[in-house]
Amino acid sequence: MTSPRKERQGEIWAIGGGKGGTGKTFITSCMGTYLAQKENRVVLIDVDIGGANLHSFFGIHKPGKSLTNFFENGSPLQELTVKTGIDNMQLISGDVYSLASDNIKFTQKLKLFRHITKLNAQYVLIDLGAGSHNNTLDTFLMADKMIAILVPEMIAVENMYHFIKNALFRKVKMSLRSYGFREIVEHVWERRKRYGIRNLKELIEWLGNSFSYIGDILDQELSSFKIYLILNKVRSPDDIVIGSSMKSALLKFLGIDIDFVGYIEYDDSVWRSIRNQQPFMLHYSSSRCTEEIEDFTENLIQGKEISLLRA
Amino acid sequence: MSREEYDEYFKILEISPDASLFEIKNAYLRLKKLYSTESPVIAPIAEEFPKKRRKEILKEIEEAYSKIIALLGNEHESLYREEPSAPGKISEEEKAESISFSGPVLRQIREKLGIQLHEVCLDTKIRVEHLENIENEKYEALPPEPYLKVHIKAYANLLLLNPTKVAEDYLKRYREWKEGQPDE
Repeated sequence: MTSPRKERQGEIWAIGGGKGGTGKTFITSCMGTYLAQKENRVVLIDVDIGGANLHSFFGIHKPGKSLTNFFENGSPLQELTVKTGIDNMQLISGDVYSLASDNIKFTQKLKLFRHITKLNAQYVLIDLGAGSHNNTLDTFLMADKMIAILVPEMIAVENMYHFIKNALFRKVKMSLRSYGFREIVEHVWERRKRYGIRNLKELIEWLGNSFSYIGDILDQELSSFKIYLILNKVRSPDDIVIGSSMKSALLKFLGIDIDFVGYIEYDDSVWRSIRNQQPFMLHYSSSRCTEEIEDFTENLIQGKEISLLRA
Repeated sequence: MSREEYDEYFKILEISPDASLFEIKNAYLRLKKLYSTESPVIAPIAEEFPKKRRKEILKEIEEAYSKIIALLGNEHESLYREEPSAPGKISEEEKAESISFSGPVLRQIREKLGIQLHEVCLDTKIRVEHLENIENEKYEALPPEPYLKVHIKAYANLLLLNPTKVAEDYLKRYREWKEGQPDE
């Protein structure tokens, strides 16, 4: 199933979504465990600047090495991995010792991305922080699979729109910039009233219709803009419908087609395992949540959506 | 209807053109609900995505659904009348019968739509075992006629058939069998 390219260079999954506390880190740790159990070499990276805690999900208190070593001493990324206690899976901890990490330079960021793509792993899972900061968006956009975690609450929905809109806006901006169009997106957006543009979808349509070569570039670049949605802490069938509703609203509102890959039901055992710092997938291997996590991770591997009958 | 128009209707319902009737109906109901009621998914973007636009979308959804159903309805007819060597190999005898809705015909339609019995059960709340008996025309195991009629209608509705016509056909055969039974 893996192409020769994938043997050499792992598939990168970034896990984000805007709001904090939706379960990004928990889900990253679980998906990584499942992939590792299926005998894939997995590396997890915590880039939650200022809030790194992925190591705690494996009961690691002091990771010893972290991204700080990469940014401050220039250590190669591959050398910063630590054991997770789970076979085939290693972890690169976030910047836990440094306080001045919120202003990583653009060149440092590019260097980090270069190192991430060269990691010796079949799957690299990147756990992003909350919010829609440019560093977060760029890391999200560099991934092969952009995974967004949502809880079925209006505020989380609101944050997710914000996150996805910003990611798309940045994607459009950076794509055109790489083809030599400096600031055209910002220019048109600032004068959107004059052009009768009301939202991002109309901006993209306007750009494409006004300059056919820009239309071609955007068609090509945005075809890889694929977000995979996971719902967490679901308590009722109506909550699950929020997944397919999001898919529809984003298509009709932003013109982007996301994949709704699955959900996790609300379960106290998740809270318990996090409190006890036990890897959930190992301690609750026969729970319903574990099964749900396995299902959507499998959907992600295969690029499939959740069955419409269940959604 | 041109191929492009046809694909466009499926695009509006956000399903692939090979979706089963069951998926088509589900998508239609789901989208209709989403854009006609106050949803927590729409509220945060209500300003940028005004009611007027949502009304247009609703109109498109209605149109797409009715066009697809009309088209598939025609295909359905041809399925039983013009394709003697259709997959499933319906013999001439069975084909003559299949214009009336018997148990096996219902099963055949269900299988063509790609619907599992347990999915019918989820939607209609009729137990799988009852559904099997209906399809197999295991008359002796079926509930009394008034209940049976309700079940058949719910099942037919799910298969997007005319519930009254299906119930009439089915119960006609059922009554014929019943008359042949010794009085209790």
